[in-house]
Amino acid sequence: MSNINGKVYAMNAITPMKPWKTWILRVFFFLLGHIKPMQKDLVDLSFIEFARWVVLPRNGFPFLGKGQSQEDLKYDYLLFFSNFNGTWNQYIDAFSAVLSKGLNLVWRWSEKFPGSVPVTLFKEYIARVQFDTDYYYTAYPHATANDVKSAHIVQSSLDCLSQAAEHYNPQQFADAYLRFVLQVQAHLGETGEAPVAG
Amino acid sequence: MPNKSGNVYGLTILSPIIDDEKATPSHDLQIRSYLAKLSTREDSPFALAPGTHLARLVVMDDVIYVGMPACEEHLKSKYLVFESNCDGDLDNYLSGLAASVPEHLDAIWKHCVGYPGAGNRQAFIDYMKACQIETTFFFAAVNDKSLPETLRALQTQTAVADFIATHQGMEPSALQREFTRFVTHLKSLPIPRPGSMGPHRYIKTGGRNE
Repeated sequence: MSNINGKVYAMNAITPMKPWKTWILRVFFFLLGHIKPMQKDLVDLSFIEFARWVVLPRNGFPFLGKGQSQEDLKYDYLLFFSNFNGTWNQYIDAFSAVLSKGLNLVWRWSEKFPGSVPVTLFKEYIARVQFDTDYYYTAYPHATANDVKSAHIVQSSLDCLSQAAEHYNPQQFADAYLRFVLQVQAHLGETGEAPVAG
Repeated sequence: MPNKSGNVYGLTILSPIIDDEKATPSHDLQIRSYLAKLSTREDSPFALAPGTHLARLVVMDDVIYVGMPACEEHLKSKYLVFESNCDGDLDNYLSGLAASVPEHLDAIWKHCVGYPGAGNRQAFIDYMKACQIETTFFFAAVNDKSLPETLRALQTQTAVADFIATHQGMEPSALQREFTRFVTHLKSLPIPRPGSMGPHRYIKTGGRNE
């Protein structure tokens, strides 16, 4: 079991839903996907690198024959996979505090979902429906989502300066360099090993 | 298309694991044993093959019963869940995996029903697609950069921080000369290998409630 690799935590959760409720959830996700302002809170939770929700219909489990028994289920299932920075508790706390309305809209269709506030019952529910990761890989374990965003800002600022630099005289370059430093100074945080959670 | 966010693809695959009472240890346990020994660093199969930002493999034993008044039900198969956040086109990605690390793929997926082997590229891609579940909603914090671009940017970030720190107060013409040299040197560096920039830490259990 390895839910953690470097600075990222892999969360998996599965919750049962009555099939007729699945369609309401699909509509919500459709709107979330097409109306960008609805994603604002999700974007603001800047410690999420990647996350996905997958609605798995009761007859949608892959069936390949060849000796495999076909599933016979009453519920559809909602799968949730998240890659986030920080600890489990910090993540659930932040989710509950910032995204409580959104979370309720996603999980209220799942059986026995207690609501995302108060957080104690919410944590109990997540702990119950979570299952552990057997293998977890990240190409950049030393970097958080914010590190990656910052690194791209630094890269693009550097590319601009280096392209322009060859046309500048020394004084013009010094002025441009100062502007560059001001532009990137908030994005130079050092990456490295994550603090040990305890 | 819900499987994609910008240029990043959210791949979700559930492969049914062979249920054979005579297998000892059971196939799911053999997958878990193999995964437990598999490197997560630059020699990881996902680092050797192109295009994976983050990926996980999970043996899903069963669905979860949340308690009364919900109905209790169980799966008839265990599933190997493969969740990957990767660059671009799915066919190219799967093809890259099959070409780069066929022995790892075979060692893992040979315990799954109907797995044809990575040697037959098209059969492998068809199999993976047959086990694919469409993502309903996919979120990527950075969705317009490829893996090499991100690795390069992280390398640049560290180098720029060092450059700025060591060239403070320098006279303009010398600074310009040094900067040009710095940029040329930076461009000549190879892109860091995926998974190579992480801490060498072997404790990685990470209790779920940390």
